[in-house]
Amino acid sequence: MKLIKDILNRYKGVLPASLSIGIFMLIPILIIVVYSFMIPNPNGGVRTGFSLASYQKLFYDYDLFDNLVFNAGYLKIIFRSLWISIISVVASLLVGFPVAYYIAMQNTERRNLLILLITIPFWTNLLIRTYSWILVLRDTGLINSTLMSLGIIDEPITLLYTEGAIVLGLVYTYVPFMILPIYASLERLDIRLIEACRDLYSTKWDALRYVVFPLAKPGIIAGSILVFIPSIGAFIAPELLGGGKNLMLGSLVQLQFSSGRNWPFGSALAVVIMSVVLIALLIQAYNARKNGSEIVH
Amino acid sequence: MSEDLDLSVAITANNLRKVYPGNPPVVALKSASLKIADNEFFTLLGPSGCGKTTLLRLIAGFEDITDGELILYGNNISNLPPEIRPVNTVFQHYSLFPHMSILENVAFGLRRLGTAKLQAEQIAQEMLELVHLGDYGSRMPNQLSGGQQQRVALARALAPQPKVLLLDEPLSALDLKLRQAMRSELKRLQRETGITFVFVTHDQEEALSMSDRIAVMSSGEIQQIGTPDEIYERPANRFVADFIGDANFYDAVVNTTSENNINYEIHGGQILQSPIIEGITVGDKVTLILRPEKIAFVDNKVKNTLLGKVSEIAYLGNTTDYVISLSDDLTMKVRAENHFDGEPIANIGESVNLAIDPKAMRVLSA
Repeated sequence: MKLIKDILNRYKGVLPASLSIGIFMLIPILIIVVYSFMIPNPNGGVRTGFSLASYQKLFYDYDLFDNLVFNAGYLKIIFRSLWISIISVVASLLVGFPVAYYIAMQNTERRNLLILLITIPFWTNLLIRTYSWILVLRDTGLINSTLMSLGIIDEPITLLYTEGAIVLGLVYTYVPFMILPIYASLERLDIRLIEACRDLYSTKWDALRYVVFPLAKPGIIAGSILVFIPSIGAFIAPELLGGGKNLMLGSLVQLQFSSGRNWPFGSALAVVIMSVVLIALLIQAYNARKNGSEIVH
Repeated sequence: MSEDLDLSVAITANNLRKVYPGNPPVVALKSASLKIADNEFFTLLGPSGCGKTTLLRLIAGFEDITDGELILYGNNISNLPPEIRPVNTVFQHYSLFPHMSILENVAFGLRRLGTAKLQAEQIAQEMLELVHLGDYGSRMPNQLSGGQQQRVALARALAPQPKVLLLDEPLSALDLKLRQAMRSELKRLQRETGITFVFVTHDQEEALSMSDRIAVMSSGEIQQIGTPDEIYERPANRFVADFIGDANFYDAVVNTTSENNINYEIHGGQILQSPIIEGITVGDKVTLILRPEKIAFVDNKVKNTLLGKVSEIAYLGNTTDYVISLSDDLTMKVRAENHFDGEPIANIGESVNLAIDPKAMRVLSA
């Protein structure tokens, strides 16, 4: 009894946090992991029993004669998701860094206003915002009709329902997650360091390369992870802007839980997404530890 | 002929002007003209907001020149970006790159100039040894004390062997003892490297003790340029006299002139004297400037003394300041050295006689 009391005493401070993490995070994840090892119920849901069929399904399929054959279909989707997410991270960085840099160089009043503007899109539903991109990108949309009326093109270019449209949608949705951490690290950057750099025979670009980038690295890494994680499991942008043609993991999971009626396989796919995210986080943690002594700010 | 002359001049500023846009625009530097000699320790001295840092930043290239021109060893550098100018800066807050080791910091300028890594690091190591930090190359800036960081900043700025070294109040963040040690250190470095130093400070003691010449600045203008003793002994105007050291100021009228001296009557009727100055005649209104340490307490047998009563005493350790009332609303500050037991020369309320050598008097036309 005394032991339990001791433990309670020691950990009672973190009890609320532990409880909320346990209830809202660990239990759902646990359910997904457990479901992924169960047997699908044809009407949805799961039946009790242990099976590795869902994980086998990631790589193999049964042909007409019930032979197990290698099936790259799902792997393709996984790699496409990874690829599109990485492209989105790079694009978000290219768009987000200059924006963050610009904001960080303004005076406090303007900074706060600009940061507020960055968050404005969050006030509107993501679905509606993504739909409006359809109006811009479709064959009779804003871009094509403008280009055609200017005589630059004769026929509409296919913009919608491409991988490019998905990347555009993801970058549009998640670029604030890139901007904010980079801004946070640039805001603390001492402008006088840039002057010191210029003074020591560095051009503006050299100053960016040797001082600004290294000191913004923690922000860049944090932003990249924050964009990568939701991108890999994204559902709305691939569905609406990719037209379901270029299936990504998020859509696939949704499909398994709805019309596919294969909850264990959907759960297994979710576990794959989580594993990818976990690997990304571990790499970041490793880097952070390695660079820990270098990063002062 | 003129070329030889040019080589002895490190920096020439012609009517340099800096206005920061805004509403209303801020005139940081009205119109500064000066020549800084090669191998000179030149100080820009003045209170905050006097334009000294602006002038330094214009020389470094951090600010665009609004008007005027800047010539460095015969080359017009008015419109060159900072990375092209062969000058380096020691910043007030060191501004060491926090993500680089001390050695990388010091080698940085050389690397950007294209020096090979090994050679740059070798020179950087020599520079670190020059500032007595030879063993610190592998440390990170945040592992060093303020004084050490300041010396690294010096080494970093000296490593590329700039033609001119700019120092922006480099000692102001250090404590007193360290500051005094760094003064002789800076002076030594300037002698050993032969580089022209342009030093910005608001500390008159720093300026007087280190400089070959000083430019005293106030409200965006250069008030006087001269050697430390010129600035102190013959201040060009009331601001300079007031800013450098302590001074008594008296409005006076020329009363009579004799063979050797001019006699001035100050408020209350007492007489002060100066040697003959050309152009000053009876009836002229002038301002008299008198340093407190150039006034002596004497006994009443001496002729031509000032009479007064001690009204305040401030003990300062090696000296004591006495405030003497000359009349109802006129006082004179007198500084006397403390000898032996440090007993005051006069006590509050005591009547005293003061003697002033006419040669110590500085006269400004009012």
